[in-house]
Amino acid sequence: MQVYSTPKAIKENSNFTFCPGCDHGLAIKTIAHVIDELNIRENTIAVASSGCSVFLYNFLDVDCIESPHGRACAVATGVKRAHKAQGNNKFVFTYQGDGDFASIGLAESMHSALRGENITAICINNTNYGMTGGQLGPTTAMGQITTTSQNGRNREYHGFPIKTAEQIAQCEGTCFSARVALYDIKNIINTKNTIKKAFEYQNQNLGFSFVEILSSCPTNWKLSPKESHEKIKTELSQIFPLGVLKDVKND
Amino acid sequence: MSEKELLKGNIAIAKAALNCGCTCYFGYPITPQTEIGEYLSIEMQKNKLAYVCAESEIAAINMALGAASTGAKVMTSSSSCAVSLMQETISYACSDELPIVIVNVMRAGPGQGYIFPSQGDYNQATTGGGNGDYHTIVLSPTNVQECIDLTYRAFYLAQKYRNPVILLADGLLGQMAEPAELIDNPYPQIDNSNWRLDGAKSRPSREIHSLEVNQNKLNQHIINMYKKYEAIEKDECDFEEYLCEDAEIIFTAFGSLARHVKSVCNYYRSKGVKAGLFRPKTLYPFPYRKLNDLSKKVKIFIDVEMNMGQMLKDIRLSILSNAKISFIGKPVGNWLKEEEIINAADNIIKEHYASI
Ligand SMILES: Cc1ncc(C[n+]2csc(CCOP(=O)(O)OP(=O)(O)O)c2C)c(N)n1
Repeated sequence: MQVYSTPKAIKENSNFTFCPGCDHGLAIKTIAHVIDELNIRENTIAVASSGCSVFLYNFLDVDCIESPHGRACAVATGVKRAHKAQGNNKFVFTYQGDGDFASIGLAESMHSALRGENITAICINNTNYGMTGGQLGPTTAMGQITTTSQNGRNREYHGFPIKTAEQIAQCEGTCFSARVALYDIKNIINTKNTIKKAFEYQNQNLGFSFVEILSSCPTNWKLSPKESHEKIKTELSQIFPLGVLKDVKND
Repeated sequence: MSEKELLKGNIAIAKAALNCGCTCYFGYPITPQTEIGEYLSIEMQKNKLAYVCAESEIAAINMALGAASTGAKVMTSSSSCAVSLMQETISYACSDELPIVIVNVMRAGPGQGYIFPSQGDYNQATTGGGNGDYHTIVLSPTNVQECIDLTYRAFYLAQKYRNPVILLADGLLGQMAEPAELIDNPYPQIDNSNWRLDGAKSRPSREIHSLEVNQNKLNQHIINMYKKYEAIEKDECDFEEYLCEDAEIIFTAFGSLARHVKSVCNYYRSKGVKAGLFRPKTLYPFPYRKLNDLSKKVKIFIDVEMNMGQMLKDIRLSILSNAKISFIGKPVGNWLKEEEIINAADNIIKEHYASI
């Protein structure tokens, strides 16, 4: 009995270059499984962004364009609409960090949701700017220590973190918004099913679909991979509750 | 066969874009170019083309980047301070080798400036406001007819060289109506099936990115880009010579201001002074060689611009002879009138040219 095989949508001989225990690799593989299951590899254009997520195109075997930091949803809007103008319905999704999606690119992200842009955005929330070495970002939790909040995030200097999936759920053009995690098998399966739903909603032309993935960043958190997943399970999912925040089919 | 009609520069650009198969427009309002987006909003929505009222110029140029990656003909338009916002992505598009037509209908700067016309974005357009080694092709129309002709040419060159092209118009040209003919697009289609992103069907997947973690590869990529620029510099220089053949005094000017300078040349010719006008139509590639060739017979070059002398440095770089190079200009507002140019030029000419 085969229990696991690498998805077809992962490039052959891919060696993930992420830090040990980082969830980016797992997230990309999970997306690849969904692409396989929906059989959309040959019709997909992915948009990678600046941050650790940029390496998407090294691993995922679909057409891919890199976006400037924060602008992935705008780039995806252009890709989707340009194809539509030529009569082609392509599957288009972004793969972004939380800094990318919810800080520098908040305007592009939210306006894509408000327009009901028929794309899917996957946002890796690791509560810091991972690639640049773990600075305070838009999702850094109150009290969390980063290289630019060495005494912990506080109200006086930094203000409050954004709850991205909740904000995106507020936009009328959003058809689906959910937050998931990858800290155990049950959650990995749930993440896959959630991404699948978001992708299917795009295929049904329902509007902007969004999945925020609470993800580990062991290097910058200065925790082991195991401790990192424990932190997501016990701490972060209290601050950023898991679940579906909007689903037009159930509303 | 169409005939001449009374057309505003902005509308002429929009019509030409549609005529040559532009299927995607993304923009954000700013005077004096807003009519381009307004006109296209009607026409493109009628034809179910890609049109987005973007939330900012940053969003607009990034939508253009995404759309260009599909091989579509893509345009965005804006003005001066707002084109500044696009610079990061213009640099990406050059490295990504993506064809985007960017119209800049210049207004006054620096900063917000105002809606008066100006030619203050010569530097921004030709030397780039973005980071790294790159060039954008820059075309400079002088009248409404050229707004049409050079829009066609902008789309053609963008596709041919897979590079952004800036159509550098100005507020006067954008707002001015004059007779022009919406000719058919004279350029051939360029095949892009070997690079566009349309889904990896029966072929390996493709990646478009500027990030390159291998420094040898990044070096090679930039060197390859510069081979392309060399070809552009060799083959695409375009200019107008007016009475230059026997000229001893050559005025240089670009864009709509060159029309006033033409009248100035006529005035001097009527006085027996051998004056001519040299007008670059491509600001990048700049016609250095041609200007230097001319300079062998020329005593004085007088550069006239509606800025503080931005093209002047390219004139100086061009001319290797001993010809005198002077400048007449002002930064913003009503274009220098013929009389103003003549008054200033008389002094320069008197100083260096005994016969006047
Ligand atoms: C305009 C711009 N500003 C800053 C940077 C530097 N930079 C690259 S990635 C990054 C942060 C990425 O953080 P996030 O989006 O959360 O993704 P992660 O790396 O954590 O997955 C920054 C600040 C950049 N590339 N471009």
